[in-house]
Amino acid sequence: MVKINTEFRRDRIVLRLDTKKYEWVIEPRYWRNPILGVLVLMVLPLFVYQYPNLLTMITTANLYAAIAIPLGLQIMGTGRMNFGPQFYLGIGGYTAALLNLHFGWGPGATLVATIAVCLAVSLLLSPITWISKGLYFSLITLILPLAFLDVTYVYGDIFRGEVGLSGMSPLFTLGKVSWNYLAYFYCSLLLLLIFLFVSDKIGRSRFGVNLAAINENEDVARMMGVNVNRYKIFYYVLPSVLTGIVAWFIVHTFRTFAGVTYLPLEFMIKILLISVVGGRGFVYGAIPGAYLIVGLDEALRGLGTINYFIYPLVLAILIIILAPKEGVYGLFHRHHYRDYYASMKVRRE
Amino acid sequence: MLELKNVKKSFGGVHAVDDVSFTVKEGEVVGLIGPNGAGKSTLINLITGVFPCDKGSITFLGKDITGKPPHMICKAGLSRTYQIPQPFYNMTCLLSTMVSVLNGKERENMSLSDAALEASYYLEFVGLFSKRDSLARDLNLYDMRMLELARALATTPKLLLIDETMAGLNPVESQNALDMIRSAQDQFGITILWIEHVMKIIMSAAQRIVVLHYGRKIAEGLPSEIFNDDFVVKAYLGDKHVKSK
Repeated sequence: MVKINTEFRRDRIVLRLDTKKYEWVIEPRYWRNPILGVLVLMVLPLFVYQYPNLLTMITTANLYAAIAIPLGLQIMGTGRMNFGPQFYLGIGGYTAALLNLHFGWGPGATLVATIAVCLAVSLLLSPITWISKGLYFSLITLILPLAFLDVTYVYGDIFRGEVGLSGMSPLFTLGKVSWNYLAYFYCSLLLLLIFLFVSDKIGRSRFGVNLAAINENEDVARMMGVNVNRYKIFYYVLPSVLTGIVAWFIVHTFRTFAGVTYLPLEFMIKILLISVVGGRGFVYGAIPGAYLIVGLDEALRGLGTINYFIYPLVLAILIIILAPKEGVYGLFHRHHYRDYYASMKVRRE
Repeated sequence: MLELKNVKKSFGGVHAVDDVSFTVKEGEVVGLIGPNGAGKSTLINLITGVFPCDKGSITFLGKDITGKPPHMICKAGLSRTYQIPQPFYNMTCLLSTMVSVLNGKERENMSLSDAALEASYYLEFVGLFSKRDSLARDLNLYDMRMLELARALATTPKLLLIDETMAGLNPVESQNALDMIRSAQDQFGITILWIEHVMKIIMSAAQRIVVLHYGRKIAEGLPSEIFNDDFVVKAYLGDKHVKSK
């Protein structure tokens, strides 16, 4: 029988499970900045709700951030650079879409199926995090989504190749189209915030401390008693499942899903750019990074063909300026240091 | 406490460790010496599970740890420091030491805050408490070595393997490091297997010395015996320095 003891203190909640002890800091001042950030995101659509394009844009930014947050966690936790996070976007998206279209499964059932399939595939592939090191891991992860993209063409009768699948049932429908846009924005925000909360909690737990150690030097971490392989499986599987959930959301929100949109290199580069520009070492960095990249993409689209030169140029300048400062969030973090553990700094170059 | 029986390890055609057997008893400080390339560091890597043994067995506290992964060996109570310091360069001293506290020997009721407190204790012990928030890459060599010692002690080892901790230190720092290791042994009751090139230090610190040469054990005994052993003198300095010749 497991003994459970919960203790509420002024600044924290203490939970004891047998011989294990966990603490959660609830002191409001440590939550001030995240709460302010969430409020800004919640108020934002009220200013743009009359413009469906803008609303779709910031919904897309939320979804991109929701992919980049677990990716950041994965890159640090496995100590490897994953060049194919969108592979699980494809797996999750097609699972949800096919089950919905061919078997009539509702969004609830497809969510469970998406999680189960992503979990199974990522568990099956997780040994690559120990077997392949450095460049080899990056190459394998780079190949996976591209191979899957080819599969969607080869088995065009199932995946509908370039056209993709469409007509999946929506999560919900409201009376007016503009309300739908607004509701989907808030749903995407909720998804993003759940991912952020989960990632932040992991980062501030003993899992996070071990994540930092593995990211620094996994051989030394082993010597200090860290079961590196177990952690690597965790940090490969969890972000993969979270990415699959984003795909499920896309399927039931946009009601169309094509591998050609999400599986090619361009999409992956966008996600990696969000991580780098936002701040690779911080889970929060994905949000400003996603809004910046998606906003820039939309703003420069009006320039016409010259956009093909201007967009990469602006991105290169952003990376040169922001990468050494640890991204947009790194700039902020440097001047507004408010972590609970004053010493828990993990700086990335 | 630690028993090595006929341990062998080859890399291609090179016999890095060849049929080495010796024991370390509880509470001892055993020195492991030998010229460069003698196989000392390889032996430490075999004991800690970095490399698998080709042949032979390693027993620690009565349990066979041959082929066990490093994290399990660490949890069993065996910790090490490195010849070339291997700190987590982008982590603070406190956080680095917390990794050991959280993952070393199982401790009951250890939350993250408690781990920070316990890590502070080990940093205080090695004299790094004032630098607990400094990143490891900003430390000098002596401090890096002390951080390694703090990390190793924080896993609460029963046996500590020290790999050339005096390398690169000046005489004053070496003396301080020696004092620190001695007080660690007194305070935490640990046994030490110590690889060292600085003979003055190891001869004064160790109660027993094991000598390796080309992967083979060529001598074992008290420091005074080893100091006058012809085989050892020959291995280090060549034929012309052997007195009995």
